[in-house]
Amino acid sequence: MAIEVNGVSYETDENGYLINLDDWNEDIAKVLADGEEIEMTQAHWDMINFLRGYYDEYQIAPAVKVLTKAIATEKEIDKKAASEFLYGLFPKGPGLQACKIAGLPKPTGCV
Amino acid sequence: MSSPEKKWKTVESGPHSYEEALHPVVRKNYGQWKYHEIPKPGVLKHVAHSGDTIYTVRAGTPRQDTVDMLRRLCDVADKYSDGYLRFTVRNNVEFLTPNGANVEPMIRELEAMGFPVGGTGMCVSSVSHTQGWLHCDIPATDASGVVKSMMDTLYNEFKGMEMPNKVRLSTSCCAINCGGQADIAVVVKHTRPPRINHDHLATICELPKAVARCPVAAIRPTVINGKKSLMVDEEKCICCGACFGACPAMEINHPEHSKFAIWVGGKNSNARSKPSTMSIVAHNLPNNPPRWPEVTEVVGKILTAYKAGGRPWERVGEWINRIGWKRFFEETGLVFDNDMIDSYRHARTTFNQSAHVRF
Amino acid sequence: MEGAQKAASDEVIQGKDGGNGKFLNPTPMLDELEKGPWPSFISGFKELAERTEKPMLRGVMDQLEYSYNTKMGYWKGGLVTVDGYGAGVITRYSMIKDKFPEATEFHTMRIQPAPGLHYNTAMLRGLCDTWEKFGSGIITLHGQTGDIMLQGIEQDKVQECFDELNQAGWDLGGAGAGMRTAVSCIGPGRCENACYDDLKAHLKLLKHFVGPLHRPEWNYKIKLKFSGCPNDCTNAIMRSDLAVIGTWKDAIQIEPEEVTAWVEKNGTDALVNQVINFCPTKAISLKDGEMVIDSRDCVRCMHCLNVMPKALSPGKERGISLLMGGKNTLKVGVNMGSLIVPFMKMESDEDMDEFIELVEGIIDWWDDNGLDHERIGETIERVGLKLFLEGVGLDVNINMVTRPRDNPYFKARY
Repeated sequence: MAIEVNGVSYETDENGYLINLDDWNEDIAKVLADGEEIEMTQAHWDMINFLRGYYDEYQIAPAVKVLTKAIATEKEIDKKAASEFLYGLFPKGPGLQACKIAGLPKPTGCV
Repeated sequence: MSSPEKKWKTVESGPHSYEEALHPVVRKNYGQWKYHEIPKPGVLKHVAHSGDTIYTVRAGTPRQDTVDMLRRLCDVADKYSDGYLRFTVRNNVEFLTPNGANVEPMIRELEAMGFPVGGTGMCVSSVSHTQGWLHCDIPATDASGVVKSMMDTLYNEFKGMEMPNKVRLSTSCCAINCGGQADIAVVVKHTRPPRINHDHLATICELPKAVARCPVAAIRPTVINGKKSLMVDEEKCICCGACFGACPAMEINHPEHSKFAIWVGGKNSNARSKPSTMSIVAHNLPNNPPRWPEVTEVVGKILTAYKAGGRPWERVGEWINRIGWKRFFEETGLVFDNDMIDSYRHARTTFNQSAHVRF
Repeated sequence: MEGAQKAASDEVIQGKDGGNGKFLNPTPMLDELEKGPWPSFISGFKELAERTEKPMLRGVMDQLEYSYNTKMGYWKGGLVTVDGYGAGVITRYSMIKDKFPEATEFHTMRIQPAPGLHYNTAMLRGLCDTWEKFGSGIITLHGQTGDIMLQGIEQDKVQECFDELNQAGWDLGGAGAGMRTAVSCIGPGRCENACYDDLKAHLKLLKHFVGPLHRPEWNYKIKLKFSGCPNDCTNAIMRSDLAVIGTWKDAIQIEPEEVTAWVEKNGTDALVNQVINFCPTKAISLKDGEMVIDSRDCVRCMHCLNVMPKALSPGKERGISLLMGGKNTLKVGVNMGSLIVPFMKMESDEDMDEFIELVEGIIDWWDDNGLDHERIGETIERVGLKLFLEGVGLDVNINMVTRPRDNPYFKARY
């Protein structure tokens, strides 16, 4: 599979994740978000930037609990409310949608 | 991803409710049962304080079922058990009826449909097992096929009640052992370190995650042909396959080097002895589809020895505790070797810290 | 292997060919599993495929045959889910879809059954009808965690299938780093040894934790299993992080006439050899020919009750023991659950609310103190039970250990 952005074709896997993580730019993110039927707001971009920053630093995507804790701290809300906020932004889950839009690798495994 | 117009708003309901799935006699006597008997293999009779009686007919299933098969089981339930049925954790199906006259016709019909009636009392019950090549993303074998092959040879032990106590079996397609601890377990044993796909590793895996997954710190980052990748210290590697779950590029499965091991003595019940974990008693058995004869042969040897030597109510592990591992290996014809000496954490707790010796 | 060489050819296998006019392609390896008396899953799959002619079934059979020949698996994971959920669908794509295009997608939907795995035929037929409409028609009853596994659906049908199932009262099961689907034994639904209503407890707990089940965000998975008595038919002690096992506090109830009847039928030898000698704490003795149980020595193992179900039954003061930390081998080795609450009442709604509060506290502690991909038993192994007890606010109890420590290496607070 592939997506086309500004006339350039980028390779993706069958779930639409970028194959080459270095390809990522904000225009690609917008196209990936469109595919998920997500309209990017500042809150979405904050989350995407957080994910990319974390990935740059640690070479892994943060666990969901890292995301919710960060949100909970920043917004001074509890973990449950933070989780609801996160799923409000990315209804099919941060693993599936936020990582995809941020150009991070697909999470693996069921065990 | 095209999603059609949503008409239904999800109700996060959790488990399905159970009350409507209980037979009226069960509902009436809920929590008020007095005792049970096993009138014959495959049949249970439960009596309530009210005097009400409910019969259960139990039959084996393949676990990998189909809608066709389940509809046939529903037909049986509609005909003989007022439309109620349930399953056991060993994948057996059960039909509960207050009408004792329905028991024999139901048995005949189930048997005619190919479902063996049994699985009660001192029997070899059906196998708790995993998904395998049919569906799993990390399997070295197909547990369903192993189970089918094994249960073909144990068919009469499932239908009878001639074992010293119940025998629970499990089968697993990798060392994670989703099939679980059991009296006798058939579990894949990898024997070589993972083969690493350096071309794809960095794009499909998070490197630190795979490094962290290793229980013996044998995985290190490296660069191969200019690409970030991982390397394995093969001396340290214990061939557990934990990294493969985190990183599909760490290919642990191998058509020849992924073998089978047989384990015995797992018990979860608290009855008599405390629950116990399994010990390895055979390994280096080939992964030999479609019938895995080498595996079923070893399981057969263990069961034959246990059936002959176990005292009533002794589970496999309890039988071995009494006769000792020396006699276990003698009577099963299996061979103890130095790979069976524990070398992992807390290994010394499995050493004989006494002068108790069996001759 | 001869078969492996045969299957190594690169031809694309699709469509009706070589199957003697049948829908399916030849599967000589799998056909070997149609022999023998035990019911064959292969015969079931073939019957279903020939009737429904679903291409996915043919593709999956072809790929499975190929696996049997090459002794390798060919599925890889991915991410498919339904709106609002981060888990519950196990995604499978064929790694060799060029060879078996009909097997390209074969996702599983995990569905939570009713506690105790009870069904009525209307429920089960409805489930089958929906599943045949949207999916392959293959169902596993049940997965090792306790789910109904609806195996084989394409991504673009998942949401619609789920909506229809959800309207019929079904919900997805757990996956990933969150609460998982639970299992309970038949409990008060038939068993005289059920010491609490494990079906009700199962339903209540899992409804309470439905959020973290659908939106996993803990360190790793948490499994709950509910067994009505210490026979532990759900294998809770080994297969669950939190094992809720029924027990009782007072004396075993004895019906003397039934004891006499048992001895008349089975003999004194059996009473001595099969009952008294097997008591793990020597709590049973004969006094003037009568069987006597010293309750203070009894550890509630269940053995004598199992042998003499008519004569003996659990005491009247019933409740649960809670064990924590059970899991299988990876990575620290097999961990059995260990006792953290010796006894708790589990009768009223208040009892269950108190229990839920305790479980929440335990999970919160683990969420704060555990590492990524660390089960709660592994966290305890790393930090010690003492820290956990302090963190959760549980009182220390001698039943938590088999004996006090045999080394002096701790920091005293005095």
